[in-house]
Amino acid sequence: MNLRSILTLSCAAFAICHGTAAQSDAKRKDGRALLSIPEVASKDVICFALYTVHDRTLKLTAQLYPLPKDAPRTLRLEIERSGRWIEVARATVIEQGWTAPFRVANWDDSKTQRYRVAHGSAATYEGTIRRNPVDKDEIIVAGFTGNSINPAHGGDISRQDIIDNVKKIDADVLFFSGDQVYDHTRHYAAWLKFGRDFGEIIKDRPTLTLPDDHDVGQPNLWGESGKISTLPGAADGGYAQPAAYVREVERAQTSHFPDPADPHKVGQDIDVWFTNLNWGRIDFAVLEDRKFKTGPAGRVPKQGPRPDHIQNPDYIPASVDVEGAVLLGKRQLAFVDKWTQDWRHADMKVALSQTIFCGGAHIHGSANGRLHADMDSNGWPQTGRNQALRALRKGFAFHYAGDQHIATLFHHGIDEYRDAIWSFCVPSIANLYLRWWEPLAPGQNREPGAPEYTGDHLDGFGNKVTNYAAANPEKQPGGNLLNTRAAGFGVVRFNKKTREITMECWPRNVDITNPSSRQYPGWPRTISQFDNYNPPSWGRLGELRFDVENPVVQLVDAATGEILYTVRARGRTFTPAAPKGGKFVINAGANAPDRLIARDASVGDDSRTVSLR
Amino acid sequence: MFLSMPSDRSLVLLIRLGAFLCFAGWTWQHLYWEAPYGILLWHDTTYAYASRWGISWEEFVGTGAADGFVQKWVSRVGWLYLACAILSLTVRKGAWIQMAALVGGSGLLSILAYTKYLAANSQPPMFFEHGGQVLIPLLLVLAIAVGVRHRITVGTAIVAVILTFAGHGSYALGIWPTPAGFHAMTAVILKTEYQTTRAFLHVAGLLDFFVCLGILVPAIRRQSALYAAIWGLLTSFARPVAGMSLGLRFWGADHFIHEALLRAPHCLVPLYLFLLWYRPRQAGSHESDFATMPSADSTLLPINPASANGQTR
Repeated sequence: MNLRSILTLSCAAFAICHGTAAQSDAKRKDGRALLSIPEVASKDVICFALYTVHDRTLKLTAQLYPLPKDAPRTLRLEIERSGRWIEVARATVIEQGWTAPFRVANWDDSKTQRYRVAHGSAATYEGTIRRNPVDKDEIIVAGFTGNSINPAHGGDISRQDIIDNVKKIDADVLFFSGDQVYDHTRHYAAWLKFGRDFGEIIKDRPTLTLPDDHDVGQPNLWGESGKISTLPGAADGGYAQPAAYVREVERAQTSHFPDPADPHKVGQDIDVWFTNLNWGRIDFAVLEDRKFKTGPAGRVPKQGPRPDHIQNPDYIPASVDVEGAVLLGKRQLAFVDKWTQDWRHADMKVALSQTIFCGGAHIHGSANGRLHADMDSNGWPQTGRNQALRALRKGFAFHYAGDQHIATLFHHGIDEYRDAIWSFCVPSIANLYLRWWEPLAPGQNREPGAPEYTGDHLDGFGNKVTNYAAANPEKQPGGNLLNTRAAGFGVVRFNKKTREITMECWPRNVDITNPSSRQYPGWPRTISQFDNYNPPSWGRLGELRFDVENPVVQLVDAATGEILYTVRARGRTFTPAAPKGGKFVINAGANAPDRLIARDASVGDDSRTVSLR
Repeated sequence: MFLSMPSDRSLVLLIRLGAFLCFAGWTWQHLYWEAPYGILLWHDTTYAYASRWGISWEEFVGTGAADGFVQKWVSRVGWLYLACAILSLTVRKGAWIQMAALVGGSGLLSILAYTKYLAANSQPPMFFEHGGQVLIPLLLVLAIAVGVRHRITVGTAIVAVILTFAGHGSYALGIWPTPAGFHAMTAVILKTEYQTTRAFLHVAGLLDFFVCLGILVPAIRRQSALYAAIWGLLTSFARPVAGMSLGLRFWGADHFIHEALLRAPHCLVPLYLFLLWYRPRQAGSHESDFATMPSADSTLLPINPASANGQTR
């Protein structure tokens, strides 16, 4: 043992003792994240309200503080018409979690309406149900993840910058991808705090809050269709908290979602909430990439210090792609398949889920060093990952997600690089746990001047990914600062006119409307909707000229009958991309691909004129 | 049941077994899985000390491409646990170096309990419930050095049981948030619904506190210790029983067996107390038969002199 090692050992031992003492001091100074359920006056019992409108159905959930025993258990939803409040629905309070879910069918989404939720004679909470922005060229979706409230990570710093920025850009939809709550035992108290922090922007626009692992009270989540998890860390699959707790969390965060696409419950009577939200002619698939996923413990060979972590760089990726391991699951894949073919009232499609379909980081936070692969990511199981991407690319879906604690921009590949969808993983609101995208070898096919970490890579599972940006945090502990920990949020602009998708990645506490404000390196970036399924090896069929605007076009493999994709074309012309050497059936229609256009189309065909009137 | 009082040798063997299994379980956790020290090391203060020694952050925590000193040395802590497991078997009276090393083993377990405590948002029961594990090496040393029936040895064992059961009881009763695992294991093993599980845990939590009190009351201390030993055994084996499955690799044994082993003190320390306090029923025996043993082990505890001499009257 050399002197340096001895010094290091001594240093480590001393640091352990003194560091923890310092932590105690810090705790005394800053306190653990303050989390309490405040007592409020009866006029303030409604904390906040979340809503969505889909297919002319309004679903709104009012979140209450605890009601006194003698207080009424019914809430009213009222709409302002000609200066008067008209009751349109009533809801009974569910005491476990204190929510009141409203559902109003035949909602007129063609006009903006003021609403208020009322309890008794004293309490009201007002907001705005927006008109469906079907005629708006650009739909803006603000994206968030990882809402740590722990002072150690800067989580106690005000969210006012986010509130101000969302108001300035007047986002059409808010998307919280997960970990809105980090407290593993007090979701209700933390959810109320979330409402106090973000209610001001949530009350006036459709909001999607996807519960992730920490929300349901565990560090990682492989739901395994509702199994009970008993292994510390939960890598054996399933839910660690009692089902009643999980149901309460999901009720608070998702009961205002459009009705689930396939409402059958999973194990322990836990509901599902995967669905779609069509808003402003953007069709959002809301996916649960945790609920059905198999836990790795005991299923895959051990490759590292945790059952879900792979540290052995020489392992064979195929060895962990075990038979029977599930990612989205059959029910959800069936939903996605159907969703990609349905282009009624939609110009573009977006998949929203908790996390991205690859291992999106190499170095993980707690001084644990390089991690070759993390099975908490959707890079595993590889077969499930590829099934999901194959399904999503059939609708040219753009993927918007979070969870990774590091913002990244990937173009995914299955059989070849860049043959599937793009994904944008947004940075954490306040970053609990640091990660870095730092491949050992420079990426291939990088853009000129781009950092070496960009370009074509294989992730830790051998999945093909092309990185375009990564907002890495600083390399040593960043104290209480938000932005040294690469905190922030995302903004995605979906331009229906140009069919362009512009991704923005902003740090905290900047005015994003100020031209001098800078995004994280690599952003903004604009792609075409059609980049979400444009394999480099493909060619082009002959141009199709239509007599209607924006028809829906579907390409089918003539040999197998498999639908390759369905998409709404832009304008009156469309040149389908297709694999070289094959024969293809083309279907098209004004709103659905219900007319046969060609039986044996192939790459290099002449253009043709198609009448759909 | 025993026909005669257990010998000192068998009582020491029991404690020895508890210490060995506890260290062996943690050795497996350290060397095969992951040591839980990350929460102690990833801090500004850690970096400050590293830099004071002229060591860069990258050298200290690793560059990403290679492990740093911290990762290398943390992984080596597992070998100390292995050494302690072996010493638990080899330590004998007069082997002062081995005894000192085992006291150090208690220190290692204290650090480990502290990391668990920090990871559990500084909930005191998380630290206390490791009391049985932290104290068992010390208990072994005391049993060998001053005698298995010595007041200090017995007192240490009582403290270990009280800490463990008070910690568990606090969680089971919900004085601090009940860990998810408590619910999960109960629901899986007993196939109970949430309300029943809650009720079961409340009852178990109450009994935990009864144990803490009962073990101090001479009239019921044996029954309390026996219950604690049985409950300690059941809760330790609840991990593999709930988690293992024929469908898993190695039936999941590599994930769950050590979880039971490292909790061996939860069963074996109260079992030691029960056997220590065990009195075989014999005709004509009554409380006045008890006397204070003068003795080799210097104990001042009342025991049955006949049994101690291997005779009956």
